[in-house]
Amino acid sequence: MEIDRFIIPTVTIFIGLILCFFMLFPLSAILKMSFFKGGEFALANFTLVNFQKYFTTAYTLRALWHSLYVSVVTTIIVTIIIFFYAYAMTRTTIRGKTFFRNVIMLPLVAPSIVQALALIYLFGRNGLITAHLLKTDWNIYGATGIIVSEVLYCLPHAFVILYTTLSAVDIRLDEAAESLGASPFKVFTRITLPSAKYGIFSAAALTFNLTITDFGNPVVIGANYNVLATEIYAQVTNLYRFDLGATISIILLVPSLMAFMLNYYISRKTFSMISGAARPVIPPSRPLKKISYSIYCSLVTFAIFLVFATVIIGSFVKIWPYDWSLTLAHYSFPSIAGYSAIWTSVWVSLIVGIAGAFITLVAGYVMETRRPFFKQTIYLLSVMPAAIPGLVMGLGYILAFNKPYYFFYGTPWIIVINIVICNFTLGILASISNLRNIDPSIEEASISLGGDTFRTFFRIIFPLSRVAFFQNFVYFFMRSMTTISAVIFLVSATVHLAAIEIIMLDNDGWTASANAMCTCIIVIVLIMLGILQIVAKKTGQRPEGMTSAV
Amino acid sequence: METTSKQLVLKNINKQFGDLVAVKDVDLVIAPAEFVCFLGPSGCGKTTLLRIITGFEQQTSGDVIYDDKIINDVIPQKRDFGIVFQSYALFPNMTVHQNVAFGLKMRNMPPKLIDERVGEILKLVGLTDWERHYPSQLSGGQQQRVALGRAIAIKPKVLLLDEPLSALDAKIRIRLRTVIKRLQEELGVTMIYVTHDQEEALALADRVAIMRDGEIRQIGSPWEIYKQPKTSFIAEFVGTSNFITGKKKNGKVQFGRLELAVTNLDDSGNETVYLAIRPENIELVDETRSSENYLASNVVEVAAEVINFLGAIVRITFILEEEEMLVDISEKAFEKLSLKRKDKFKLYFPPDEFHQYTELFRKLI
Ligand SMILES: Nc1ncnc2c1ncn2[C@@H]1O[C@H](COP(=O)(O)OP(=O)(O)O)[C@@H](O)[C@H]1O
Ligand SMILES: [Mg+2]
Repeated sequence: MEIDRFIIPTVTIFIGLILCFFMLFPLSAILKMSFFKGGEFALANFTLVNFQKYFTTAYTLRALWHSLYVSVVTTIIVTIIIFFYAYAMTRTTIRGKTFFRNVIMLPLVAPSIVQALALIYLFGRNGLITAHLLKTDWNIYGATGIIVSEVLYCLPHAFVILYTTLSAVDIRLDEAAESLGASPFKVFTRITLPSAKYGIFSAAALTFNLTITDFGNPVVIGANYNVLATEIYAQVTNLYRFDLGATISIILLVPSLMAFMLNYYISRKTFSMISGAARPVIPPSRPLKKISYSIYCSLVTFAIFLVFATVIIGSFVKIWPYDWSLTLAHYSFPSIAGYSAIWTSVWVSLIVGIAGAFITLVAGYVMETRRPFFKQTIYLLSVMPAAIPGLVMGLGYILAFNKPYYFFYGTPWIIVINIVICNFTLGILASISNLRNIDPSIEEASISLGGDTFRTFFRIIFPLSRVAFFQNFVYFFMRSMTTISAVIFLVSATVHLAAIEIIMLDNDGWTASANAMCTCIIVIVLIMLGILQIVAKKTGQRPEGMTSAV
Repeated sequence: METTSKQLVLKNINKQFGDLVAVKDVDLVIAPAEFVCFLGPSGCGKTTLLRIITGFEQQTSGDVIYDDKIINDVIPQKRDFGIVFQSYALFPNMTVHQNVAFGLKMRNMPPKLIDERVGEILKLVGLTDWERHYPSQLSGGQQQRVALGRAIAIKPKVLLLDEPLSALDAKIRIRLRTVIKRLQEELGVTMIYVTHDQEEALALADRVAIMRDGEIRQIGSPWEIYKQPKTSFIAEFVGTSNFITGKKKNGKVQFGRLELAVTNLDDSGNETVYLAIRPENIELVDETRSSENYLASNVVEVAAEVINFLGAIVRITFILEEEEMLVDISEKAFEKLSLKRKDKFKLYFPPDEFHQYTELFRKLI
């Protein structure tokens, strides 16, 4: 009996079915809800009334303009800031590059709400800087607050892309131009910028996508300034208008999908350009250039530090910014969830980490080395999750699975599944790029020696992938600890998660406790990253740090 | 050890990748315990043919037959064929011992027997003291020995090697060649060896199959291949040949101002004829011997252009009728001649050393 013959097709079909059932099916539920009367699929029920309602109601229509406005502005700011930051890392000889590179990644360890919390403490109605130092009435709520917090949130994501691009572009081009007598300004505009253009567009597209789909920051700092993401939440949670929620989801899906596809298309070009490029030594920068870039990078990292310091300090002082005496009072969480939410988050994240790392490794193995004939389909299904905003996916889960016979609905398991699916794309791309580093002959050697698929996978492929596996584990763990939008619709009266508790606490006026909860998450994620470093050092393979986790 | 290999037959094997024909009409019967080399330039389909035999690639048509049974549908891990890869493909997470033991473990052999067998194998490949080392701690030559040991540990029915030595230094390559040849003779296992190095093929094989564009162009003993290359391509690819494009005239071949006598000149209608002669088959004219020993038409006087001292022989480049040609003479004869660049000397083209072809393979430089 040659069972082995059927293992690969079976596993492939299984993975395909999982992705269909937990991704396409919820999406179809959203389509159904928005395009069909009462969400009942039938030709006669087809209607555009929801969209008509959306576009004729001034208040909801404004959310679209608001979203586009903050996303475009954020995108421009982030791209410019990060371009020069990455330029400093790759083209100048300033000191402390390792430090700068690590700090810029820091926002990844916290939920995308930490920025808003910090900004409110600094520039809010009772902000340290606005109300107490400058004694002004101006405050940051609304569009400005959203833009500033989104900028601070998107920096690491954009940095990874531009850093990779600028490292790959041959610096000798610049030198050649300079030696031919071109002024530094001309070199910059004629050589450096054009050679990095794919990276710039790609970083911009990603930033746009992250901003327009983010929920945590706008819900805290947006006040009356509604955006699409917060509007979906409001329609569903406050007004129970699932049909409108689904409709706005579709409207949100359009620009985010476009940005995703643009990014996907561009990054393919970038990577074909990057492969094989040399990385020569950077010539020493002129003192003035060095000083200005050092100051510039210090300012950016200062802003990031300020966010984290504010939230962490804010969680330990009695009454910000009146009474600076230290206290642990905010860590006795007022709501019933409190620490149980943290524990739930931790064990959910551990399961997400293991399951996510394992399933993406298996899927990557099946696709990369065994090349089943439906590889293309599975690949397409695997990259789709990155294009779907977490909030939309979450709403899809309610619409699709809120039926008594889906036993996992309302349990932590649906949260586990949702987070794994939402982050499937990066997980599988990391697995595939790792597997491509393993000599295909090694696998064939094992098979020719009589190793069946199971034993080849567990004795050869898995041990050779364990650092990549652990990196993926940490990535999934981190995403699971910090995601808000994907799971906000899936928490319930019995299942609480730490990241969601931050919003709840903030909403109920327990701002300091919200900061405390946020601090707990940051500490847990940092501990996990520390363990990754130790494990990687022990196994002798250097992890790419957080850079590879995004 | 006893021979367990049986006859392996490749019957009309074809393989296409889309429009590209990688293997074409391969028919081959390989006797038990025979050592066959597939020799050909890179891209000619050697690896593909090997992978069809191992089962990692499915042929588009044709049959692989082992011991009179068609094994087209037998998956690779059930074929019991050992493979040695160019990249060694050792398991980096396992020691030398574990690497060699892997196939035995997959066969659920008891641990005691495994240890015994691994010991035997390591002795055979000369790595007894390296059991506990990891592949990364070994040199390339040692790693390939482990790979060899790992492949023969399972007593394969056929051992297939895909350019196993091409990643190694010249010296180690020659030493390992001997190891492989000796193993094959001791184990009596059928071996199929892929290489693009003609010297390796001639040195190792019982039979050499010359491949080009997916086809086997000639198959025979190394001696046959060298002495009677069937096409001008083979004459050039195996060893070296000088090519002469001439016209038939009065039973002779006109080449520029020369009219060369050629034994058994074919009398088909073609006017143009392509001749090949190996550098070592061109003789120096010995002035002390009587001229009756030489056909006057095949004696030419040429000037030395380049002199390469290769050790036992000296290779001299000369120009004949505007064509660059080579002649090999022994180091002794060279000494006697005391030849310098631009010096003139006389050569003799023996009429029976020419090979005749109907088309000319031209190496593009
Ligand atoms: N998996 C494949 N897909 C498409 N073409 C292939 C594949 N494998 C080999 N080829 C092509 O088949 C031809 C023969 O390749 P190969 O057998 O590797 O040659 P060799 O081993 O003699 O160098 C080459 O032109 C190669 O590009
Ligand atoms: Mg090959």
